[in-house]
Amino acid sequence: MRPLFQEVLHLYTDGKERSRAMVQDELRDVYGNFRAFRDHEMDEALHTAMSNGLIAESHYELDGEGKLVMYYQSDQDMIDLINNYIK
Amino acid sequence: MENLANSAAQQQAAVVKKARDKHFWKKGVFIAIFSGFLYGGYTSFMTEGMMHGVWNDIYAEVPTGVAAGVSAFFIVYTVSAIGAACVDIGSAIWSLFYGGCIGRLGDFKRTLGTKPGKILIIAAIIGGPLASTAYVIGLQMAGSIIVPIAALNAAIGAIIGKFVFKQKLTGGMILGIIICFAAAVLIGSSSMTDLNFSGGAALGCLAAFCAAIGWGIEGAVGGYACCMVDTEIAIIIRQCTSGLVNGVVLVTILSILGGDGVGSGFKVLTACLTDMPSMWMLFVAGVFSSWSFKFWYKGASMCGAALGMGCNGGYAFWGPFWCLIVCGLIFGHEGFMIPAVGWIGAIVMVAGIMILAISQNKATQQQD
Repeated sequence: MRPLFQEVLHLYTDGKERSRAMVQDELRDVYGNFRAFRDHEMDEALHTAMSNGLIAESHYELDGEGKLVMYYQSDQDMIDLINNYIK
Repeated sequence: MENLANSAAQQQAAVVKKARDKHFWKKGVFIAIFSGFLYGGYTSFMTEGMMHGVWNDIYAEVPTGVAAGVSAFFIVYTVSAIGAACVDIGSAIWSLFYGGCIGRLGDFKRTLGTKPGKILIIAAIIGGPLASTAYVIGLQMAGSIIVPIAALNAAIGAIIGKFVFKQKLTGGMILGIIICFAAAVLIGSSSMTDLNFSGGAALGCLAAFCAAIGWGIEGAVGGYACCMVDTEIAIIIRQCTSGLVNGVVLVTILSILGGDGVGSGFKVLTACLTDMPSMWMLFVAGVFSSWSFKFWYKGASMCGAALGMGCNGGYAFWGPFWCLIVCGLIFGHEGFMIPAVGWIGAIVMVAGIMILAISQNKATQQQD
């Protein structure tokens, strides 16, 4: 079992686009009871990873409640970078 | 009609996204500045703590009590490591306790075996015990002339961020870093009363430069690692590593080097750790240290090493400022007034941080 934030980044090594909610849906069974699994912490972790070039914004939209939903994706260089650090 | 609605929704989303990005950036800058402010608290309580209880015996003209008969080398070098160890051990205990309260201990254990976890351990050893010891050696060999040399750490961190982690570093950002460095020199210059250019001075300057490299590496590498490791976990790793290496490895090595024997180092360390009149203050220093280093890493991971470490550079002013409040005003010690040049340095540093921040923001917008 990987630490939560490393597992989040590892998800993106398949090159698929995901929002924070989609990441949470995939990891909820294992990490759902972690305090760092809350929306705010996960949003900040994804934004920090983006600032450091491990993932990139792919697109964004407003949901039904007018809240911003960000989608992220990693290109091959980013995938190689993540794989270099996270086994 | 549907296209128009979609376009309006996209525009609305763009506005919300811009506000979100701005909030994230501002939060990073605030955290990085606040890390320097908290570092001042750490400095002041460590300084004050080392003037109470058993430390009076250690720093007496002729050391008495538990430190009776130790060498001059021991008082200068080993005692510095013991002081740092007391703060770091207190900080590690606090970080573990706090990490437990916010549910991070499971991931702390899991992170230790991973590559980012190991990188954080190495960064902590380089920036903690190694750089701090190099700094003390520099101070002893060359005097306070080394203060501005050590302040180069932010510039070194920015260079590492640029070339190792491909972070932004524009002309405006370099100017901001130079101004911050000049401000640190200005603030540090007020304590330059014992300038010494004798034989060992060059070696002392070299040791201070090694300290700057160590802190630069820790800030840049630790900050980058925090895009893969939760900062709440990174700080537990940092403080436990630093406490263990300072308290066990460094005290042992320095005790042997000074010819005092390993037993002397641990005897004094144990006496300091169990000395309540001073240890409560060193523990408070450890709590400040935990938050300060956590925000240092977090600021660098959110804004990049250049801006994060530049904003943190305010510690050069916050250290004397907190010492004035805690050691001077609260505990009534003399000699902690900040001279005019110190306040001027603080204003110059604010200007440097603003130039650095505005330049980085501009560079980010151009990239987008």
